[in-house]
Amino acid sequence: MFLPTRLLYIAAFQVILMSIATYFFVTSEYRTLSSQSLQAIDHFLIEQKKQELKNYTSLAVSAVEELYHVKEPNIKEAQIKVAKVLNNMLYNGDDGYFFVYDGEGNSIAHPKEPFRIGKNWWNLENKKGEKTIQILISNAKSGGGFYRYPWFKPSKNQMSEKMGYSVYLKKWNWMIGTGVYLDDVNKQLNKLQNEIDQHINKTKQIILMVAISSIFLIFLLGQLVNISQKKKTDIKINKLNQKIITLQEEEHRYISRELHDGIIQILVSIKYSIEATGIHLSKANIEKPKPLIHAETNLVVAIQEVRRISHHLHPKILDELGLSAALAELSAEFTERTGIAVKVTKPSVRKLLPDYINTTLYRVVQESLINIQKHADATQISIDLSINDKWLLLEIKDNGDGFDMLSYKKKNSPGIGLRNIAERIEYHSGQFEVLSSSKGTCVKVKIPKTSFVNHANKSTIEEV
Amino acid sequence: MTHFNVSNNKISVLLVDDHPMVQGGLIACLSFYDDIEIVGSTEDGKDALNKALELKPDVILMDISMPFMNGIDATEIITEQLKKTKVLIFSMHASLEYVTSAIQAGASGYILKDISSEEVYLAIKTVFQGKNYFSSAVAKMLIDNPPKNENEKLTTREQVILSHIAQGHSSKDIAGILNISCRTVEAHRRNIKAKLNIDSIAKLVLYAMDHGLIQH
Repeated sequence: MFLPTRLLYIAAFQVILMSIATYFFVTSEYRTLSSQSLQAIDHFLIEQKKQELKNYTSLAVSAVEELYHVKEPNIKEAQIKVAKVLNNMLYNGDDGYFFVYDGEGNSIAHPKEPFRIGKNWWNLENKKGEKTIQILISNAKSGGGFYRYPWFKPSKNQMSEKMGYSVYLKKWNWMIGTGVYLDDVNKQLNKLQNEIDQHINKTKQIILMVAISSIFLIFLLGQLVNISQKKKTDIKINKLNQKIITLQEEEHRYISRELHDGIIQILVSIKYSIEATGIHLSKANIEKPKPLIHAETNLVVAIQEVRRISHHLHPKILDELGLSAALAELSAEFTERTGIAVKVTKPSVRKLLPDYINTTLYRVVQESLINIQKHADATQISIDLSINDKWLLLEIKDNGDGFDMLSYKKKNSPGIGLRNIAERIEYHSGQFEVLSSSKGTCVKVKIPKTSFVNHANKSTIEEV
Repeated sequence: MTHFNVSNNKISVLLVDDHPMVQGGLIACLSFYDDIEIVGSTEDGKDALNKALELKPDVILMDISMPFMNGIDATEIITEQLKKTKVLIFSMHASLEYVTSAIQAGASGYILKDISSEEVYLAIKTVFQGKNYFSSAVAKMLIDNPPKNENEKLTTREQVILSHIAQGHSSKDIAGILNISCRTVEAHRRNIKAKLNIDSIAKLVLYAMDHGLIQH
């Protein structure tokens, strides 16, 4: 089966469509999955931070527990001590510290921003439009809570998102809080997001590569299939061609024989009947009537015409006297018709070849002579038939101005064409070659001796 | 039509033609001539051999294209065995190759089928007298292309004998196989050697092998 190019294009188009669909499907799945896992990671990290904050806070609260339970009148003193203790409790480098406000928003302790101490920050509003301190205090009063808000990050010396946790010391109306900056978490998440994007890019490249190589493979396989198919078809066509030529030759031979052995013989016998009639008449002293004379001469013409046609279809000489005699006759006719001298060299033995080789070689010479006459402008031709240890060689040389290879391929040339003959010779395991230059052309045919050895012997022995 | 000789010594003629209608027509025409007697007729070359040996006719009128064995090959065998019988080829083929092959095979004359019966009669008489007869078209061909003696081709009979020689058969063996005399085989042998310009048996065998007559 031949694969039409259109089919290949459709296949390639399908691969492209599939690749695009796969790409979108895979990346969207990937993105969904990754955003889910990012959320999970985010959640996990935040939870971890929250736990950390709770731990630090409970550590801080237990550190000041003893002072908190001091009774009047030492409370004021204890409060100062606590503020001092908390001021010194730092963790995570510069960014982990505790801050203390009273229930009205007055700053009591703030190790990193001491300018706040002693002032009221109740109405401090952040970028989100929320009152930071009020929310922290309210979270603390409701038993401890988390709140995200923008705040100054000491280590970076800039604003950053912070998650704060605050608890309430009810007896003192104090809020103690601490917080972590979330930019680390965000950085980590961004890094993951980047990695995911890289993965998606990689996937895209792999899909692209697979698609391109698939398309390449489709066309390659298509070509290979077509090439092997073409070979098979060529062989079939060649076989068919040979069959057609064989049939044609057989048909020609049959018609030729029918004409020669049938029609001509009948015509000849009629001729003798007319002659006998003439003799009868002359014996009876009657003059031959003119129509009878006319019939006799016309009959001779008819016989010659039929003979010519029969000979043209299939030269009987080929079967009866063999190839070399047939070639000699063919050349003599050619010389007579065209005035071009033909020299034939042939071996002393004859009837060496089976019919199909005989006929093929005869047609080679016939076609070559036609070509020479039409194209070569030659004055001398030599036809050499010889036998060496392996091959029967047939060479037709002329001294013309070279053979146009194109014209020899032309379809409108008469006869079965040299090209067909070449195929026919190769089909019978022979070799065919045309060498042409401005000095002349040489058509060479080689037939392996194995295809005719013993043929002459068999046929002649059987005949006797 | 003046040949109405009253003679007891009629020329006996064997007619070999594969078409009965031609035979009939020819017999009808030749029957007008009193000095000719058609002693028999046959339709193929092989049967012609038997009939010729049996009837020993003076002249055989021989067609070429026939089943089983063509007229030229039959002529060669007949003239080899019947020295007195003359063979006159009577054919449709007007080409030099046929004519020279026929002459090589030992035919005394060659006439084409399109000539008149009167000329056929004349030809029969001529070859009977030991001369050659060629109808005008054939004669013209022979004058234009006189047969050459050098590099002559082997006749079918010679080729058969060459294959036998190459297969190691002696002249006596060959004479037995082909049912001819030993002397005839020897004569063929000399002819073959002369034609191929070969002087030893070994070289003959080699030649036969080289030309695919027998297998290596």
